[in-house]
Amino acid sequence: MERREVLRAMAVLAITPRWLLAQAGQNQSAAPVLPAPVPWTLGLNPRTPLPNTTVADAIAETVPSYFSAAEMATLIRLSDIFMPRGEHPGALEAETPAFLDFLIGHSPAVRGTLYKAGLLWLDAQAKLKCRKPFAEVSEDEAGELIKPWLRTWMTDHPPTQSHADFVNIAHADIRTATTNSKPWLDSLDERSRDGRSQLYWSPIEPDVYAERETSVHTRPSQTMAAPKATHEVRSYPR
Amino acid sequence: MSVQTTEVLIIGSGHSGGMAAKVLTENGIPCLMLNAGPIVDVTRQATKKLPDELPFRGFKPPGKLEHVFQASEFNTNVWVDEAEVPYTFNPAHPYNWVRVRLFGGRSLFWSRQSFRLSDYELKGRSHDGFGQDWPLDHAELSPFYSRVEEIMQVTGALDGPAQMPNGNFILDNDPWSGSMQRFIAAAQPKGIAVCKQRRATGRDGLASSVNLLLPDAERTGKLTSIQNAVVREITVDKHTGQPNGCKFIDRLSHREMEVRARVIVLAAGTLETTRLLLNSGLANSSGVLGHYLCDQIYGAGVVASVPEARNAAEHSKLMGGGAILPRFRNIAEKHPKFLRGYGMNVTSSTGGLGANNFAAYGAELDRKMQEYYGSGFHMSIMGEVLARYENHVRIDRQKTDAWGIPVLHVETQYTENEFNMASDAVDTMSEVCHDAGFEVLASNKTPNPPGYSIHEVGTARMGDDPKTSVLNRWSQSHDHKNLWVVDGAAFVSAGWQNPTMTILALSMRASEHLVDEMKKGNL
Repeated sequence: MERREVLRAMAVLAITPRWLLAQAGQNQSAAPVLPAPVPWTLGLNPRTPLPNTTVADAIAETVPSYFSAAEMATLIRLSDIFMPRGEHPGALEAETPAFLDFLIGHSPAVRGTLYKAGLLWLDAQAKLKCRKPFAEVSEDEAGELIKPWLRTWMTDHPPTQSHADFVNIAHADIRTATTNSKPWLDSLDERSRDGRSQLYWSPIEPDVYAERETSVHTRPSQTMAAPKATHEVRSYPR
Repeated sequence: MSVQTTEVLIIGSGHSGGMAAKVLTENGIPCLMLNAGPIVDVTRQATKKLPDELPFRGFKPPGKLEHVFQASEFNTNVWVDEAEVPYTFNPAHPYNWVRVRLFGGRSLFWSRQSFRLSDYELKGRSHDGFGQDWPLDHAELSPFYSRVEEIMQVTGALDGPAQMPNGNFILDNDPWSGSMQRFIAAAQPKGIAVCKQRRATGRDGLASSVNLLLPDAERTGKLTSIQNAVVREITVDKHTGQPNGCKFIDRLSHREMEVRARVIVLAAGTLETTRLLLNSGLANSSGVLGHYLCDQIYGAGVVASVPEARNAAEHSKLMGGGAILPRFRNIAEKHPKFLRGYGMNVTSSTGGLGANNFAAYGAELDRKMQEYYGSGFHMSIMGEVLARYENHVRIDRQKTDAWGIPVLHVETQYTENEFNMASDAVDTMSEVCHDAGFEVLASNKTPNPPGYSIHEVGTARMGDDPKTSVLNRWSQSHDHKNLWVVDGAAFVSAGWQNPTMTILALSMRASEHLVDEMKKGNL
């Protein structure tokens, strides 16, 4: 036995727990088993195959938790009106309402308020003018309720008028959530699909200790309120 | 180990710090560069992904980077986290402080539009009576601009009027597209010049400090750099009262360290430089440090469509290309509603138009987007924000960043001057579009919040009078002869032009003067 093998054996012996040594004594013929943790990562190399995975949306469904049942029913109908199934999957195939429940539920409060108040208003309008919940309105009825509030607008400057703000922001969100979904992207030809990819930046040497108890770091309060000045510079935090 | 003394300490690695490092080291002066963030390796840290592969389907992660409108889920990790390095402001007057701390700073991601300031900006007070003149003029800066344009490989045409001086360009001789010709014809009667864009092409699509400046410095063997060095304060020799180095904190371990230097060059980016000076209690005998913060108004503009380019028309000669409209207000005549002026970025697009340009949804929207595809014509403002004393930054003693360093409080707002300017820009561009036969689809007169342009300048302005300025005409502190500021903090006014060429020219000029002073033994 070479010297380095002797040393390795001694090292293994030194880190082997007593219970394992006792077991070894009972079964002399069995090969000694190294306890975890072992330096298994030393075996990783560029040829190591990576597991294949899929995005969760392809298999699983979001568990809605933010909007009420009535709000969600309105949002589902609104999503279907704004992005119906056509050449590509629609908002419902993209599970956009459930995604927005997650997204808006985790967004700053001002955005949640915009949605909840907007959905409530839309449902009330449907009951007032169509005598039924918005969830049950026809396409034409929905158009009568929504179209007066549609505006054209430039990036970062959605309408600020009440109701028009909700209608146009919700439309933009529903559209983005749908066209960025797996079903929509899967429906594109390869070239179009490649055109939708962008350079994604991973965290670059993040400070993994930023949240430690001894860190002086404290997070600031969540959201600055939208200003109410003569010239409105409203923000719609996402 | 004893603290070593380096010749020149450069804080910041963007365009201004990179230029200082290049000039100083090429003249034989050893430099130490500190940068608050890590080195970025695009081959290791970035990969192409589809939006459905990201947790938020491409939406900006909720609550993150609220004041960085430019951020998306794809690039969230390149910006400074507002939670990690917070800043404060009056909620009624928000400020969008857009920061990058990676090695190379914002030079990694800038738009590369490359303009000179003219004497309408450098001598603005002499022209209209507002603010202060710079202590130098275009003739003095011109040779430095020319050398910077050579390094940055700026393309353009020699078609600028006096308010947009021509430079040392790779000439753009491409013909105008048909839509641009119609726009030019409609703008001309209004006295609006339409010029070729001026853009730094750099090398391999990048015109950054990390590929055009720092490699030259490193080749000399005289540049040493430390990444993840978050500078807390500039230290002072208790015997001489002069700066003699700095204390910094390692970003990852939070270990505090210090270095010594004969000369300190600040290039941390306008507001970080001023924050450092304020936290160090230096260079403020005038009392104007932190004041005269200015930038440019962005966000106002017009989106139009060229009717003849719709319905999949052949538009290889009709559409395409971009232009810059140099400031045309308050040059020959005085505008009744605002001082100074604005430039416009103009783009004739061959791609699709955004859904928000149509008041429609569902199948009708799809039809509209298909019909209008390739017919977009975009105009967006770059308007000068006046340098006002009351627009300022100061230290907020109640809040610190992740490394315990007091943060900045930003107090600034736009005035009627800026709002009237934005309104005039939209009205004028809409008229030009109408005269050109274009259909205006959407417009916006409300500027984005201050800071959005990422062109924040001022707060340590230069001037001949030490009582009203922080720096002298060479970007050297009036109070401390071995303290220099080579970034945008030195600006006296913002102008309507992207500031990068001027920052680079000023840094080159300051650094060469610093070399002379060191060789003469004056420092």
